[in-house]
Amino acid sequence: MQHLNEEQLVLHHYHDDEAAAPVAQHLAECDQCRAHYETLRRVLALVNELPIPERGDGYAEQVWQRLRWKMGGERRRIRWQSLLAAAALVAVAFFAGQLWHARNIAPTVPAGRSATATIAQQPSRDRLLLIVVSDHLDSSERMLTEVANANPKRSFDVSGERKRAEELVASNRIYRQSAAGSGDARVAMLLADLEPILVELAHADDKLMPDELVALQKRIESKGLLFKVRVVGAQVGGREVPAAQKGTNSL
Amino acid sequence: MEMTDVTVVSRARTGDPDAFRLLVERHSQPIFRVAYRMTGNEHDADDVVQETFLRAYRQLDRFEERANFGTWLHRIAINCALDLLRARGRMDRYYGGDPEDAEMNGMIRSEPEQDRLLISAELREQVAAAMERLSGNERTAFVLRHFEGMPVEEIGKTLGIQVNAAKHTIFRAVRKLRQSLEPFVRSSPCNT
Repeated sequence: MQHLNEEQLVLHHYHDDEAAAPVAQHLAECDQCRAHYETLRRVLALVNELPIPERGDGYAEQVWQRLRWKMGGERRRIRWQSLLAAAALVAVAFFAGQLWHARNIAPTVPAGRSATATIAQQPSRDRLLLIVVSDHLDSSERMLTEVANANPKRSFDVSGERKRAEELVASNRIYRQSAAGSGDARVAMLLADLEPILVELAHADDKLMPDELVALQKRIESKGLLFKVRVVGAQVGGREVPAAQKGTNSL
Repeated sequence: MEMTDVTVVSRARTGDPDAFRLLVERHSQPIFRVAYRMTGNEHDADDVVQETFLRAYRQLDRFEERANFGTWLHRIAINCALDLLRARGRMDRYYGGDPEDAEMNGMIRSEPEQDRLLISAELREQVAAAMERLSGNERTAFVLRHFEGMPVEEIGKTLGIQVNAAKHTIFRAVRKLRQSLEPFVRSSPCNT
């Protein structure tokens, strides 16, 4: 039998060779191949010494704390999707009604009646908007908090947050336009301030260098963005609950 | 008596957050180890751990109770690590595979007289450095075969390559590792 090549030795080591017996026999008889095999075996045994950074006893708790929030986000996302779908249905029905109305009835109906119908639908649309905006601000606040509290002397890994930032940018645009359309200037302005920060995070490289991080933290701080998001988020969140306030508050 | 994973999973499926928390407590360390071996980066490994549990949470209904939860979770972790490596363009992008290039870059220590009685920490660093010299595919295929004991066919499926290609990826990985680490294990001259 010819000498064994490295591929045969690797297959033999991992018991992947189709004919192990002849290889074993050759190894028993050939000093040169046995020496090669022994070296390979020692190298692969040495690889087992690959150092793995220690993760202390509290690691599982850290994982859980981050995970718990993401799992909550998962539930919130499902709720958002349901609410957005409902909002979209309301909007489609509303605009379809408007269109049908304009084409068929509008010329014969006094303008005041059409306006009354529109106003009657306003509270439910606003309420849906408030619920989703409240969740949106909640998520945005958590992301801003992570950035604001990051160590400015070290690079900041945003790779795990980028997808979330992209989703927030998409939602932010919709809510900003909706808020502007419904005359909620305060929410619209806040979302307009928030958007560039979210866009920057969504388009960031895997890691923000310390100077980029500091610049972003300053922008968040200079606009008092985190504070505004918290305040408006709390107001909006609180506003959806009391039935008496429905449709009466101005953001 | 400690609850089995299957029992805990059943509870988690009913929405019991403490049950899922228990699964995290039991499995986060081993999942970190496989994630680190595959990514070679602590922060990436942490991300993989998070993503693994999140995916497991989403897919909990798909877990078959006959299966071993740890094995199932490992499989998710491997896919998460692969996704991360691919997303970062780190699959097959490291070093072209030409050992001469590596040697020219001073990556392979081949001085014949170097001290082979290295202290353990130094030796471990050499192992880590040798692993870093593998391309993304090589590292993944090697880790799956060597540490995870995954059959070559399965590795091929995981990487989306033919069985022969998977074998050759493992061969390349082992060759590179041998070239890097042989000086540290050789006790007598080897006929290469």
